[in-house]
Amino acid sequence: MLLLAAASLVAFVLLLYMVSPLISPKPLALPGAHVVVTGGSSGIGKCIAIECYKQGAFITLVARNEDKLLQAKKEIEKHSINDKQVVLCISVDVSQDYSQVENVIKQAQEKLGPVDMLVNCAGMSLSGKFEDLEVSTFERLMSINYLGSVYPSRAVIATMKERRMGRVVFVSSQAGQLGLFGYTAYSSSKFALRGLAEALQMEVKPYNVYVTVAYPPDTDTPGFAKENQTKPLETRLISETTSVCKPEQVAKQIVKDAVVVTMGLFRTIALFYLGSFDSIVRRCMMQKAKLETVDKTA
Amino acid sequence: MLLLAAASLVAFVLLLYMVSPLISPKPLALPGAHVVVTGGSSGIGKCIAIECYKQGAFITLVARNEDKLLQAKKEIEKHSINDKQVVLCISVDVSQDYSQVENVIKQAQEKLGPVDMLVNCAGMSLSGKFEDLEVSTFERLMSINYLGSVYPSRAVIATMKERRMGRVVFVSSQAGQLGLFGYTAYSSSKFALRGLAEALQMEVKPYNVYVTVAYPPDTDTPGFAKENQTKPLETRLISETTSVCKPEQVAKQIVKDAVQGNFNSSIGSDGYMLSSLTCGMAPVTSIMEGLQQSPENCCSRGPRRDDSGKPNPRQDAEQPV
Repeated sequence: MLLLAAASLVAFVLLLYMVSPLISPKPLALPGAHVVVTGGSSGIGKCIAIECYKQGAFITLVARNEDKLLQAKKEIEKHSINDKQVVLCISVDVSQDYSQVENVIKQAQEKLGPVDMLVNCAGMSLSGKFEDLEVSTFERLMSINYLGSVYPSRAVIATMKERRMGRVVFVSSQAGQLGLFGYTAYSSSKFALRGLAEALQMEVKPYNVYVTVAYPPDTDTPGFAKENQTKPLETRLISETTSVCKPEQVAKQIVKDAVVVTMGLFRTIALFYLGSFDSIVRRCMMQKAKLETVDKTA
Repeated sequence: MLLLAAASLVAFVLLLYMVSPLISPKPLALPGAHVVVTGGSSGIGKCIAIECYKQGAFITLVARNEDKLLQAKKEIEKHSINDKQVVLCISVDVSQDYSQVENVIKQAQEKLGPVDMLVNCAGMSLSGKFEDLEVSTFERLMSINYLGSVYPSRAVIATMKERRMGRVVFVSSQAGQLGLFGYTAYSSSKFALRGLAEALQMEVKPYNVYVTVAYPPDTDTPGFAKENQTKPLETRLISETTSVCKPEQVAKQIVKDAVQGNFNSSIGSDGYMLSSLTCGMAPVTSIMEGLQQSPENCCSRGPRRDDSGKPNPRQDAEQPV
């Protein structure tokens, strides 16, 4: 009896495994794809750009500093796999002004075609005790890490929904999964990315656009080195419980997850709820499309 | 053998239960306590102020509109339990400028003594499709909901750490536990409150200061009515899977959890399930927190109001719990 139950469970899981390519998102084909990476001139962003370039993508690097952009471009171009590939550099502060960001995306799309994948990697980190952090830090980190991801995403999303394809990646942090000593300003900004991503995914799922949130640990980058200069002792000691990662490994994983997506009873119920929310969204989308065609023929 | 294991498990749980008052935070005594409530002139904030006042606290209401503040003050004062109690009203926009907020807290402390409990309830909600929301909305919601909670908290935290006692409450939302269609701007701001709270709790725990994050569902308040005016259809349909709560019930639960020092405050059985699913690495500050979670559904499943405030005849068939 027990053996029968075990056997049917195994058979069910095998069936799911075989069926899954039919019900999973079709992986994004990187060769020839237009990938925009904000914060692409250094750190994790640069490694993500390299990883996509190695697989044949056309890259647009977006960052503030033009010299760093050109240096990164040279480095990325070493990894080309054919002579058609292009690395485009555009200098802008993605957190300042939405219309500037919109312009940048327009420029990039004029040169390299519609954006297939947007990687929001522009960000910075500052740690310190809550009452020691400068008051402006809270607003600044939220502006760069959160608004600096909202603006580019908003600039590409309409086109992705029209083309019924696309990937939007948000680079959060492990500090965006749990709040840690010294990270009152930073964790909030990284948690915010997750809320944004979850809500956005629910909106764009029927349009075959997929959202990925990455949660890298401490990663060996220039940004991390800068953060360490002012890190409180407690934060440093806590961080030492995990090892520092190499940005190349982080980038590989992020690109893989973006390209391809218990608590048992509660999680199952939750998945049913999420499924019903998705079907509500899909139903409304189809109804709107129907109304639009009726309007057109009227 | 199995019986022995079961018996020792039961014995262990009983032991935990008896020992827990010794290792849990000492509940905050509300009689005579100074409670500051931002966004206290209406909605959940006002009900929280009433709930604390009923238990003997001295209240400072902080909001922008002076008329609404005075009206709320009159309403709260009806519930006084002795003639010493005071309701102080101070008008300020908590999201504009930190030094203004610092001044407000200073004024309040000069009149009513150091702040024992701060309730960050100032906030607003706007929903819409990601590409339809005005660009300024993202910044505005983050400013009011997040920075408007950072500033007051920062103004009280040093004194709380000195006195080795205090409570800081952040009113997030169920939309701060999962992102929903139409809430790209709102969910982000409410998720941010959670990150802030978790990090802050880790910093202040050795000082006997406890942080509470509340996750109310849709609650029948003026703010909610305003939100409904521009809510997209999909968001409305999804929201209808949970019932609308009364602000008095939400306030009762929040005050109870804050006084106890529970990190997580959820409302009703839906809230309990959602909190369990999304607890992540959130701290548990007392064993009582886990044992005390009451899965009873304290939100009535009565008639659901539509925007005009009239009961919806379609829903009248449902039985209130």
